[in-house]
Amino acid sequence: MAIEIQTPSTWQQYRTLLGKDLRREFRTREMLTSMGMYALLVLVVYGAALSQTSHSFDILQMSGGLLWAVIIFTSLLGLNRSFAHEKENGCLDGLLLVPLDRSVIFLAKATSNFLFMIVVELITVPLFAFFFLSTSPADTWPLIITPLLIGTVGIAGIGTLLSTITVNTRGKDVLLAVLFIPLIFPLLYACVSATTVALVGGDVEAIYMNALLLAGGYDVVMLLLSWVLYDFVVSA
Amino acid sequence: MTQQMKRARESAGARCDRYAPLILGIGAILSTLGFILAFTLAAPVNGAAVDGTELIGDQMVSNQLLFSQKIFYFHMPVAITSFVAIGVAAFYGIRFLMTHRACYDMRGRVASEIALVFVIMVMCSGEMWERFEWGVWWTWEPRLTTYFILMLLVFGYFILRAAVDDPERRATYASVFSIVTFVDVPICFMITRLVPSGVHPTIFRSDSGLSPDMLIPLLLAMFGMFCIAFGVYRLRLRCAQLDVRLEALKERLDD
Repeated sequence: MAIEIQTPSTWQQYRTLLGKDLRREFRTREMLTSMGMYALLVLVVYGAALSQTSHSFDILQMSGGLLWAVIIFTSLLGLNRSFAHEKENGCLDGLLLVPLDRSVIFLAKATSNFLFMIVVELITVPLFAFFFLSTSPADTWPLIITPLLIGTVGIAGIGTLLSTITVNTRGKDVLLAVLFIPLIFPLLYACVSATTVALVGGDVEAIYMNALLLAGGYDVVMLLLSWVLYDFVVSA
Repeated sequence: MTQQMKRARESAGARCDRYAPLILGIGAILSTLGFILAFTLAAPVNGAAVDGTELIGDQMVSNQLLFSQKIFYFHMPVAITSFVAIGVAAFYGIRFLMTHRACYDMRGRVASEIALVFVIMVMCSGEMWERFEWGVWWTWEPRLTTYFILMLLVFGYFILRAAVDDPERRATYASVFSIVTFVDVPICFMITRLVPSGVHPTIFRSDSGLSPDMLIPLLLAMFGMFCIAFGVYRLRLRCAQLDVRLEALKERLDD
């Protein structure tokens, strides 16, 4: 009688790895509290930075940029943490011993980073509007959801690759920022322009679609590249 | 040992090394010729239109001729060469990941060093152009921004290399990062087409408006810059190879 060895499908592996990250988060609430607190503190710093502007000063014009600055800095914090605790108990070494396609690790890790980022954004964006938007935004404001989603996908994808690199280096926190911010820049630029045009109004159709195409294209290229290169990075 | 040395001498690399100083010299002559022709052959370019007639530099003129436009004959060839150098670094990054041989990592590193030098030269000449033509020290114009990002990425490459101790791991990370860096090159190249800002002209197009007297110095300087980059690359690579051999010999002497 032949022994049947059931190998788990890629989808099952992905779900297990993602479940591990989420379960860890539900138990410790480490990432969400630290990222949420950090985002709130950046907003407080904005409060001081913008406190001396005159009443006629319209923050709406620069709200897209300010919003993305919070998101970028918060994501840096989260990405740094996401692999630090994999290292602590040799968890990453354990994962590498499992006979699975390494890109599954990338997809699972990028998804968990994406989910944490989305949760933090769900808190940050309304808070930002509550604190800083004295004038009501244009009617097209719900359109900011798409650039937020596209931008977060890119941040999670590129960030997962880079944080895997930097977790094994000296001075990892600084190095992640040094590599991450230039690499994310084209995406950031496009997302800021789409968000701003949606909030302020104006020639929404042309600028918005153009910026989204740029951001989406960059996402596709970068995610595919990270996905291909991840195998080399994580096994090095 | 002797067989290894013989094989090394017979390899194509050795022949390249022998011609490297010659190519460097040819590059120097060609690019110098290009710059001289840029001042003698190429006609000055009309600058911003002057409203009516105005007194500029003790002369009544109806339009201003741009002398600082001559920077263009240096700026663009160097910029294209820096793109090529980053492309070569990415190519050797791919080769390293395919074979895991240390020699490709060394080639990638040397190509990135060349890219760093050329990127800094582009930023310096671009900065002069900005100051004298646009009247500002810095502006967040799309081409400028993407090139600035490219410079930061090349800096990041070396910071990354310095932060990893294990040679194998350092080589892998550096290769991956150089491949990812290369993504910014087409973006930087295409950005004037994607986001027209009106300050950086699109040079490579069928109706670029470059007359032959401008095209000749430009192409000479560009070809010269390619030769210089190649010559410096080969010499630097030879230097790095000798360093590695010296280290190996020292280690054996210790034993």
